[in-house]
Amino acid sequence: MKTIPHASLVPAFSIIAAALFVFTLPSRAIEITLPRETAALKPSPLPGFALAQGLCGTCHSAEYSLTQPPTSPRAYWQATVVKMQKVFAAPIPDTAIDPIVDYLAKTYGNDRGAATATPANEKKS
Amino acid sequence: MQRSLPTPRREFFRQAGLLAAGAALAAKLPRAFGADDTGVTGTVTLPFDNGQRDLVAYPQKRPLIRLTSRPPQLETPFAVFNEGIVTPNDAFFVRYHLSEIPLSIDPAAHRVNIRGLVATPLSLSVADLKALGDPVEFCAVNQCSGNSRGFFSPRANGGQLGHGAMGNALWTGVPLKRVLERAGVGVGAKQVSFRGLDHGVIEATPVFAKALDIDHALNGEVMLAWAMNGTDIPMLNGYPVKLIVPGYYGTYWVKHLSSIEVLDHTFDGFWMAKGYRIPDNPTHSVAPGTTPTATIPINKFTVRSFITSPAAGAPIVAGRAITARGIAFDSGSGIKEVAFSADGGGTWQPARLGQDTGRYAFREWQMTFTVRAPGPLKLMARATSNAGETQPLEATWNPSGYMRNVVETVEVNALRA
Repeated sequence: MKTIPHASLVPAFSIIAAALFVFTLPSRAIEITLPRETAALKPSPLPGFALAQGLCGTCHSAEYSLTQPPTSPRAYWQATVVKMQKVFAAPIPDTAIDPIVDYLAKTYGNDRGAATATPANEKKS
Repeated sequence: MQRSLPTPRREFFRQAGLLAAGAALAAKLPRAFGADDTGVTGTVTLPFDNGQRDLVAYPQKRPLIRLTSRPPQLETPFAVFNEGIVTPNDAFFVRYHLSEIPLSIDPAAHRVNIRGLVATPLSLSVADLKALGDPVEFCAVNQCSGNSRGFFSPRANGGQLGHGAMGNALWTGVPLKRVLERAGVGVGAKQVSFRGLDHGVIEATPVFAKALDIDHALNGEVMLAWAMNGTDIPMLNGYPVKLIVPGYYGTYWVKHLSSIEVLDHTFDGFWMAKGYRIPDNPTHSVAPGTTPTATIPINKFTVRSFITSPAAGAPIVAGRAITARGIAFDSGSGIKEVAFSADGGGTWQPARLGQDTGRYAFREWQMTFTVRAPGPLKLMARATSNAGETQPLEATWNPSGYMRNVVETVEVNALRA
């Protein structure tokens, strides 16, 4: 892990400047820029891969799938994709559900075969 | 509830906020978040399977453990909890549900609208809220419902968090009661619903809205906060106004609060009626892998404690006095006792409690002990609240992975002196 400058190491004068700024002005307009998104679904020859990229990726980043426990059963992925369609109103065509579930269960869930195991999934902790 | 804190405490909180303010100013620079535009400064591995995460610097934040990018979900590195009982603004966890989050807010233009079953609908700016007079201030823990979900066994799906989706801050604002009384709550009011500026990408995605019973909303403690640790609330924590619901899980602490509606019925929005539900039984748990027969909305925290030092795996020396320390909290009765064990729960000794900064706050504890022989050790802390609730020794389980509060174990190795 790289070391990073800690807030407490900021020179004293800038903390004083911050204090003057905060306590002499009312709440101020704030604009932020988020870090560039880098997470991506794992490439796969399964037809659900491209569907998941386009449909799941419309509303949320890939970590929602990537970080689930590798023990997650197919029933979890099925219920989740259906929930996204029925409850969260994701525009997932009915015909896309089975291929997406298949890709998710085989790539991040307990349907993973030896050939698709990944370093993260092989890790024992 | 304390309305103000002794001067030394106030100064301490102020400094916790100021460190964040320094980061806030830096965050306005074009390259605010680290080495490049990804903000990634390193990686950590949480101690459960598939626990590898990036450490990422977001605006107004030091590098935090990223769970998801869109919407952002960030957890606090656990070592921060050993730095003091106040969690600095720039280290406080972030949890959004839907991806359209506000990235630019002018507090002069922002409004909190109060409508529904009220005599006079109101549209209040931050300045209007401040002008309601006599601000209240107290320290309170905010904890995500799914904090520590990654430690569930069998694993529960959802955000795979370590212990870092919690924090303790000094909140300043106006009681919701005062705002509602200004609007005039109508006869027959049953609940009050709340929503903020964040919403889904798709129009039909259920808006993130939460509700409290009317008596709870009028209890004088629920707060509309405009300050956190003596300075502005960071954008990602709900600038410029955040709902503070002390003792209740973070799901109720609506960010960028924009709408309050008094209802004559029980709110039926997705995030109350379907999401954030717990088993309707005394322990809010079921046998692992089973489904509850009846559920209720998640509500108050269970009692918890953590050992913040020594850290897991830290080398300690047999025959020398060691001071363990940590934090404890509950839903607001306050901490009565923290018991400490250095032998995996075989024997327990009462720890010394630190200063009481409010019954909703982290309570520090310390315990000095000496290990006689070298070898591996299991350190444990077990809190009991003033209400008589004690942490279980065996983990309970529920399908959503909420409310973990089992006694946690820190494994260390005592070396020969």
